[in-house]
Amino acid sequence: MRGEALFGYAMILPSLLIVMLFTAGPILASIGLSFYSWDVISPPRFTGLDNYEQLAADQTVLHSFAVTLGLAVSIVVLEILIGLGLALLVQQRRNTFVRATFRTVFYLPLLASASSVAIVMGYMFDQKFGVINYYLGLLGIPNVPWLTSDFGATATIVIIAVWQQVGFAFVLFVAALSTMPQDVLEAATIDGAGPGHTFLFVKLPMISPTILFVAVVGIISAMQLFDQPYVMTKGGPGYSTTTTVLLIYQTAFQNLQFGYGSTISVLLLLVLIVLTAMQFFGARKLVFYQ
Amino acid sequence: MSPMISRARVGRALGLVVLIAAAIIALGPLVWTLSTSLRTPAEAFVNPPAWIPVNPDWGNYSAVFEQIPLLSFFINSVIVTGLIVAGQTATCMMSGYAFAMIRFPGRGKIFVLFLATMMVPLQATMIPVFVLIKWMGLANSLSSLIVPALGGAFGTFLMRQYFLQMPKELGEAARIDGASPLQVFWFVYARMAVPPAAALATLNFSGFWSEFYRPLIFLSDQSTYTLPLGLVGLQGNLGTGSVSVVLAGVVVALVPSVLLFAFAQRYFIEGLTTGSFR
Amino acid sequence: MRLVSGSNGISRRTLLKVGSAAAGVGALGALGGLARPALASSTSATITFAYFGDPKQATSMQASLLPLVKKADQNADLKVVGYNGTDWNDFFAKILTQIAAGAPPDIVGVATEGVQLMAGKDLAIPLDDYVKRDMSELKEMFDDVDPILIEGLMYDGHLFELPVNFNAGNMFYSTKLFKQAGLERPPENWTMDDFHGYAKKIGALPDVNAFDWIVRLWGSWTSFMYANGGNLLEEQRFDNGDWLWGAAYPGNDAVKTRKGGWKWGAPTANSAPTVEALQLMIDLRKEGLAPSPDVGGGGTLQGLFASNRIGMTIGGGFWAGGLHNAGMTPDSFDVQYFPKWKEQKHLFGVVGNAILKSSKNQDLAWEVVKQLSAADAFDLQFPGNATTPVRRSLMTAERYKSTGPEHWNVFYDTLTKFPNTTPIPAPPYYNALANALNRRTTEAVASGNAKSALDGLQKDLEAAAKV
Repeated sequence: MRGEALFGYAMILPSLLIVMLFTAGPILASIGLSFYSWDVISPPRFTGLDNYEQLAADQTVLHSFAVTLGLAVSIVVLEILIGLGLALLVQQRRNTFVRATFRTVFYLPLLASASSVAIVMGYMFDQKFGVINYYLGLLGIPNVPWLTSDFGATATIVIIAVWQQVGFAFVLFVAALSTMPQDVLEAATIDGAGPGHTFLFVKLPMISPTILFVAVVGIISAMQLFDQPYVMTKGGPGYSTTTTVLLIYQTAFQNLQFGYGSTISVLLLLVLIVLTAMQFFGARKLVFYQ
Repeated sequence: MSPMISRARVGRALGLVVLIAAAIIALGPLVWTLSTSLRTPAEAFVNPPAWIPVNPDWGNYSAVFEQIPLLSFFINSVIVTGLIVAGQTATCMMSGYAFAMIRFPGRGKIFVLFLATMMVPLQATMIPVFVLIKWMGLANSLSSLIVPALGGAFGTFLMRQYFLQMPKELGEAARIDGASPLQVFWFVYARMAVPPAAALATLNFSGFWSEFYRPLIFLSDQSTYTLPLGLVGLQGNLGTGSVSVVLAGVVVALVPSVLLFAFAQRYFIEGLTTGSFR
Repeated sequence: MRLVSGSNGISRRTLLKVGSAAAGVGALGALGGLARPALASSTSATITFAYFGDPKQATSMQASLLPLVKKADQNADLKVVGYNGTDWNDFFAKILTQIAAGAPPDIVGVATEGVQLMAGKDLAIPLDDYVKRDMSELKEMFDDVDPILIEGLMYDGHLFELPVNFNAGNMFYSTKLFKQAGLERPPENWTMDDFHGYAKKIGALPDVNAFDWIVRLWGSWTSFMYANGGNLLEEQRFDNGDWLWGAAYPGNDAVKTRKGGWKWGAPTANSAPTVEALQLMIDLRKEGLAPSPDVGGGGTLQGLFASNRIGMTIGGGFWAGGLHNAGMTPDSFDVQYFPKWKEQKHLFGVVGNAILKSSKNQDLAWEVVKQLSAADAFDLQFPGNATTPVRRSLMTAERYKSTGPEHWNVFYDTLTKFPNTTPIPAPPYYNALANALNRRTTEAVASGNAKSALDGLQKDLEAAAKV
């Protein structure tokens, strides 16, 4: 019906306008800027494919992608495993008050701003005088070089990101688990399936759409990691925690190379499209819809 | 007791132990922040830390308000976050509904476009958005944060999922009774969408309240700073600020979010629980 | 739920509702626009002054400077904005963003880190003509300021800023820990060997870092680099500075060695003395006398020193106020010149005010810049000994009584006693240099190999210098 179609357009208009203007438009502009050299102060200079040539040879950029990917995968995998594990354990509890309390507790870290978390963790993870190493020391573990070694800094970023983000995955899994139809579960028990079997072949497939959602959103968010490296490690030691977005920020806003920064952004965009497409493709095989 | 039952009992007890351990890990840094904010900077590195300070120093909290215009930051954050959340809830409800329930040509293609923009990180488009904002004359103002966030692909996606799970028959019956599409939306489905809308609002609230990057780039005038950005100022010129005061600032920034969550938890958790994802 | 029978399709009400929603979106945007900082529209000119420091001072500075602005131009207005940040990098990002946004300040407080960037990129104007014109007025300031600091604000023979504050890298030490280790105050001409001996004695105390440091350009391992006769870039000087020295410091021998500003040449990051300096930090760590520095720039250094966990570290006049804020009593810490290695050479950074080329009110801005360098303006801008004044006359015992240290004279005497005091290497590509330095330093400490990290830094700097 014509009227209905117009209504539909009218309803999506505000969102569409904002998204097109502030996201789609800038994507096109970013792609455009990647062919220029621009330091903000003087007018932009067309440089054609120079930026891309530079990009291909730029070890730092490629390294940052490796770093970011490594961080992102670690964070999301841990997020899903821990989030799902905690969700299963919480849903097991019979007391509603206990369930509600744990739900609040695990969601709390998400409410602090990433930069605040980075400040706090900077103090707690100090190699010699931080609280974490103090308690680890009581267990007989020698001072861990959290922020002063390549591996330590990377691990710290992963730990902090997971600590903060687990709540998001956790809540979504709680929701998914609590809406599972009981009849299927009962049928499985009647058929003689043990708890492990039930989990692997009944529960897991039923919450696989949620796992996909968390994975997709999680990867997208983790690939954008900026706050923690910016405040805590400034990309160091060396380049071990320089994420791509941190590099883009430094290239554009500190080195005044907006054109080249855009080029890196274009590459990031392509990588993300590929990653997401991969996830959806893999989902076709693994995700079960009711 | 048969071995089967006691094994289940042990399993459940172990589960509780794991949960409590996880809770300690989740809360640990927050409690450390609170207790350190009540001690002097020199005591910040004393181990073992006095988790409950003997002489709580509330002066650190008044120092927060003296050293930075915390109230101004707070108000800015309230304005920005409030307007964004209100705006996005409205626009996403509308667009999510339309994508789920209304047929119009190109619906599928436009929705894929929406999804595609979701996959673009903020920072990749930051530079052109910045230029766009400058061109629109919004630079250096709160509008630079608010306007680009008034619509969201993620929120649209979320709301669409929930609308998809609602019974179509109700809407069809109303149409047969002669209601216009708008009336169907407003009188039939809008109220059913309150829980997921509340969920989206809460998620958006914590997300935008704690936002650091966009304010860092877009805002240059301190009078426009939002809370997370303003808090960095507590660290002082060349790092000369007091640790305890910095942490007091972190606590103060956290409190409104926690209160809101505690209050809205009912809607939020239930909102997510009433819908499962496809 | 009452269903209203009637029209189908888009009714006027629908359009109204949807249209008002869209308008509402626009209104929300407009509402946010109200929060935009108001620029007085009825005045003829508004001078905006942006500085890196405690924003709290902005209002009082604005209040006291406004009458002066009004005196020069009745219809003019003044807006003072202070930005905090962890490092100069943050501040520059802000200023450059403002320039890009088309709302640049007229006057910017810029430190050594940014002087050459502003001058080299033609962002700030040379003040030569103004200085020559108003020399009679400025004479007393030049009398009060050591020429080393003035040259730090010159580029290519031109003066780009009038100075306000500075910080030289001296050695701070904990008097408590020294006492515990049985150590006396080090003599003025103490050497690296002495320093090492002191470190060993303090290191023997439990739960203490004999020496600690952070990763940054000013007052890091770079101080050791200077003392060893090394640098990151070749130390050259511009010519054509004589117009200033003759007029401002007539008959003063001290200016004989002054030229036209520092011209930073080719990178020397992997030269032998530089490598040796960085390797020393690694060796100190191996001996357990110094920790690995925190990667983020160490907001923890001050806290650690204040809790008596650090025996010695490098600081400047800004720590008089900083340690006081952290709760230290005036007698619990003190300061001495940096020890002598191949030479006793200190680094410093100086801050002044520049006028941006884009300013439409340069004459008026100049009046404000002069006033900002006045003696009574210092404490308005930087109360609490948060930094060191460039004016000798302000360095008094009275000033440092409440904060300490006892030997506050060291701060300024570093300039008077040591004419070889050199500014930190801050070429026009400072940002790239700072980032590269931070990265390579942490890499060196993590790997234990200073040479290979500095070879890397050499490459980074060569690339950055080309751009």
